[in-house]
Amino acid sequence: MTNATGDGARGGGPLVVVCLRVTDLRPEVDPLTGVVTRSAHGAGLSAADEAALERALAIARAWSGRVLAVAAGSPIVEGPLRAAAALGAAVLRVAWPPHDEADGHGAAPGAASAVNAASAVDPEPFGPRAAYLADLAGDTRALAEVLVDAIRTVGEPTLVLCGDLSPDRGTGALPAQLAHALGAAQALGLVSLTPTDDGWLLAERRLDGGRRERLRVPTPAVCSAEAAGLRLRRAALPALLAAGDAPVPAARPTRPAVGAVEVVDVRAYRPRARVVPPPAGATPRDRLLALTGALVAHDPPTIIGPTDAGQAADALVAYLVRNGYLTA
Amino acid sequence: MADEQAPYAGPGTSPGTAVGDRPADVDVIVVGAGPAGAAAALAAARAGASVVLLERGPFPGSKNVYGGVIYGRILDAVLPNWWEEVPVERWVVRRSTMVLTETQALTVDFRTQTWAGPPYNGMTAYRADFDSWLAGKATAAGARLVTSTVATGLLRDAAGRVVGVRTDRTDGELRARVVIAADGVNSFLAKESGLLPKADPKHHTLGVKEVLSLPREVIDERFGLRGQEGLDIEMLGNTRGIPGGGFLYTNSDTVSIGAVLALPGLAAAKVRPEEIIADLKAHPAIAPYLRGATVKEYAAHLIPEGGYDHMPALATDGLLIAGDAAGMTLAAGIWLEGVNFAIGSGLVAGRVAAEAAAAGDASKKRLARYRDELEKQFVLADHKRLRGAPEIILSERIQRRYPGLVADLVESLFTVTNPEPKPGALALLRRAAKRNGVSLRELARDGLRIGKVFR
Ligand SMILES: Cc1cc2nc3c(=O)[nH]c(=O)nc-3n(C[C@H](O)[C@H](O)[C@H](O)COP(=O)(O)OP(=O)(O)OC[C@H]3O[C@@H](n4cnc5c(N)ncnc54)[C@H](O)[C@@H]3O)c2cc1C
Repeated sequence: MTNATGDGARGGGPLVVVCLRVTDLRPEVDPLTGVVTRSAHGAGLSAADEAALERALAIARAWSGRVLAVAAGSPIVEGPLRAAAALGAAVLRVAWPPHDEADGHGAAPGAASAVNAASAVDPEPFGPRAAYLADLAGDTRALAEVLVDAIRTVGEPTLVLCGDLSPDRGTGALPAQLAHALGAAQALGLVSLTPTDDGWLLAERRLDGGRRERLRVPTPAVCSAEAAGLRLRRAALPALLAAGDAPVPAARPTRPAVGAVEVVDVRAYRPRARVVPPPAGATPRDRLLALTGALVAHDPPTIIGPTDAGQAADALVAYLVRNGYLTA
Repeated sequence: MADEQAPYAGPGTSPGTAVGDRPADVDVIVVGAGPAGAAAALAAARAGASVVLLERGPFPGSKNVYGGVIYGRILDAVLPNWWEEVPVERWVVRRSTMVLTETQALTVDFRTQTWAGPPYNGMTAYRADFDSWLAGKATAAGARLVTSTVATGLLRDAAGRVVGVRTDRTDGELRARVVIAADGVNSFLAKESGLLPKADPKHHTLGVKEVLSLPREVIDERFGLRGQEGLDIEMLGNTRGIPGGGFLYTNSDTVSIGAVLALPGLAAAKVRPEEIIADLKAHPAIAPYLRGATVKEYAAHLIPEGGYDHMPALATDGLLIAGDAAGMTLAAGIWLEGVNFAIGSGLVAGRVAAEAAAAGDASKKRLARYRDELEKQFVLADHKRLRGAPEIILSERIQRRYPGLVADLVESLFTVTNPEPKPGALALLRRAAKRNGVSLRELARDGLRIGKVFR
């Protein structure tokens, strides 16, 4: 595993880590098949992750500490990491999910980088599709452990920050797993986080009824927060140019990518059984026929598209009226 | 870079020779990573210059709008066998020119399989893909692309020479030996330099377009296409009398439909541009192609259409302008070509800038080579030859009367009027001309004018 580079790595003081999830923020979903296509152009950080980076920079400054930005993923994560480096963070990519990157997937720097963001069109910029989906379906424990291993090559973190939810996995569970792996305190789903003079953190979290709870969080801690109440800084031009050329070190996980929960099978959603009254009919055969609708003349299926939404809605309503589900 | 006395002095390296008051950070700054800027950065980097390519969008092509057809042969100068990797949607094998009235359509439809194989002719492509690809070639050649950064002004030395740009970032001044403004139509940098006069609406059109989703198979079936074959339709008429025209291009699983409208006509008609697109979509000759399509994207952008006679000076001390920033779109009726002209001008600008930087002479006199070279190439040669086209194409008769005349003439030719005998063609022409308010003398005069412009 290579050491992280960047301005922030050089300073001393407490280590504030921010974990960034790079994903396609505008994936295309085929309305017919549901197939999701991710492109490098949409690659970037969610608003919450951007806010986490800003918080990390602000808290590190208050503590006279240093910032390490870590992102797990294919080389496409280098774009946002370079942007973080231009803001003064040390950066580290964790090659994830573990697969052979020699196939060139995602090899182009990410679109969200402010320097050298151009890329040829890569059909799988986030790595092989199957590996990406399997990773999303799995739990985050293995990833958390790998991230902690990578972070510890740089130092023992005083604070690890995350956005509240990643746009693609969306469970918000990773920070909890990180806290477990680090043996640190955790405060998740926050709306604000401020360092206090005595080395603690003051956090606020939403409660029902528009109220908020205030927490005093000890360190080391893992905190996740929403994108609220912050103004993001922009990198200076010289820093941006310098970061654009710098290589992004990559850590290759040594542990197998197996989490606590292993997904062995994916099944269709099965709602709870409902009791249905028996069909009318004197004989079992009649009842079976009534139940299945066999030997009854049906309207053949009608193909009504492609058509515009209005016409499609009219056709559906007409069908429902015709079959007695709606009154005209 | 080539000049040993003026070594590359990018940020983070040793300071270089002074340009004006302070050292230059790089040899060449290119503003705008559209086709002109990417090509300029590529050519300059290949010529050995240190280059920074500034783009205001988050990635090249993110903000760029066009109709949809790129004529790719200019890419021969970028990459051999470029067609093997360019991000293409479809290769145009069919070109239709339609003359429309509200209820009629006359189509000249041309198809050739020659355009279905290398080196191809036109291709439909998305600008987000194409511009990123071209900018990728520039960065591969050594240019540094800086995105999400707006060039907000020019830096000048005490003598008034352009020596760099100001950006919207902290410490955002960047100095160079030569700046290339490739920031598109209505270029603020070209205006600030004094090269480009205040935009004259007469010499600009507004391009508007919608991208509509349709399944790939439906597009193939409706437009008679297979595999990666594509169709390009140009339309004249049915724009409520506003000078301009319409277009329809096929992508893999979308169709771009839009209009290019003269600004004064649009303002006078008090019509919103999307209403013109709605008219085109509803036309009986177009609507069946688009049945069931859903709108995916809507965009609008200015197009410089002044042509050769209204092109600005292309260079001043320390600055070159390329592509739409210099008004280089060729809009001549059946031709609407901007991207290839942008790339053509960018390639020359990049090379001339790199040579000037290497020679340590970025004076206006030295940079005049840029125009000289463009005159020898298609970029200014085509513009010069077709200099009269914009005026005639946007003229009242061509736009408002001839579509009706042609459609009426053809309709009367094909209408069987039994038991009346067939009238002679000349009589029909006279009748159609009269109905549309055109005298035969005007017709002959315009025929001659058109012949002269397009000879
Ligand atoms: C509706 C429409 C249809 C068209 N159809 C076609 C067609 O089918 N075929 C064809 O060949 N041409 C067509 N064109 C013309 C074509 O789009 C242009 O000629 C071409 O894009 C010009 O390229 P360019 O690089 O000069 O400028 P642009 O493509 O406009 O690129 C300029 C770049 O500069 C960036 N920029 C601008 N200002 C700044 C700044 N201050 N700082 C940093 N970056 C900046 C922009 O974000 C952009 O990326 C069409 C145009 C329109 C509007």
